[in-house]
Amino acid sequence: MADNIKDPSKWDVQLRKGTLELVILSLLKGRNLYGLELLGQLQELETTAISEGTLYPLLDRLKRDGSIDAKWHQEGDTRPRKYYNLTKNGQEKLTDLTDRWRKSVEDIEFLLENPGPQKLPKKGK
Amino acid sequence: MSDREMVRDYLNSLMKFLSRLDKEDADDVLREIECHIYDVMEIRQENGQIIDAGEILRGFGQPRELASQYVDHILEGAPPPMGFRAIQKIKSGTTKGLYWTTAIFGYLFSAVLVAIGLLKTINPDAVGVWPSGNGESVVIGAMSRIPTDTQEILGWWIIPIALGLGLGGAYLTKRILNVLKPKAR
Repeated sequence: MADNIKDPSKWDVQLRKGTLELVILSLLKGRNLYGLELLGQLQELETTAISEGTLYPLLDRLKRDGSIDAKWHQEGDTRPRKYYNLTKNGQEKLTDLTDRWRKSVEDIEFLLENPGPQKLPKKGK
Repeated sequence: MSDREMVRDYLNSLMKFLSRLDKEDADDVLREIECHIYDVMEIRQENGQIIDAGEILRGFGQPRELASQYVDHILEGAPPPMGFRAIQKIKSGTTKGLYWTTAIFGYLFSAVLVAIGLLKTINPDAVGVWPSGNGESVVIGAMSRIPTDTQEILGWWIIPIALGLGLGGAYLTKRILNVLKPKAR
């Protein structure tokens, strides 16, 4: 743990491994975005900054499992771009993952707010 | 090497490592990555920044590693078809030689069967199945000399049987080749 305090990026990498699907799905909620736009948005935030080599294969996996869909679209003279959007399955998955994420944060907050030495109180009391 | 040459080399290499995907899927992956790279290069140019294709490509990682993330699900994700489990076990060690040997013999055998089925309609007397060696073996095929001491046993049934087995053999060969396809090195 001491290493993680010295280098927060290691902690971020571990956290991202478990939360990246949730991050991508939440970013696509109500938006149609192409890869470079998605990457730009993710890199705006300190803990969600990922590389191209992580993003595109993940989009491919989410597309294969039916969580997102993709369509090529060209506007005017610009280069054609592959836009991603949430499917119905993806929206349901986002709802489920959001619930689990919030439950997880709530549990960790509970632990942080109740340090020792006394015994951990029952939740909700 | 110019930026465009560097990008072209990267995409060519990626294409090689994506060879296990269907061509349409592989082309889609390449097109998306190519568009991303040139979009970033254009944005940098418009902003007066240095266009460093090498740096952009580093974001994607090595072509082999990037491709493996697209391809690995084919090797690990889908369960093998019934009866293909033994082939799945040995596929990682498959050589090009085994792949091409299977392809040649599989398709050749299928083509011969289909040809027999079709030839029966052209030359019915010369094509058939004859018992031989006192019934201990059979002769199948298109004969230049029709056996006289024995009776052909399948008649017109040889057409659907040969065509069915030939087409079935070709389909099976295709499925086996999909599994055996050597990994790009």
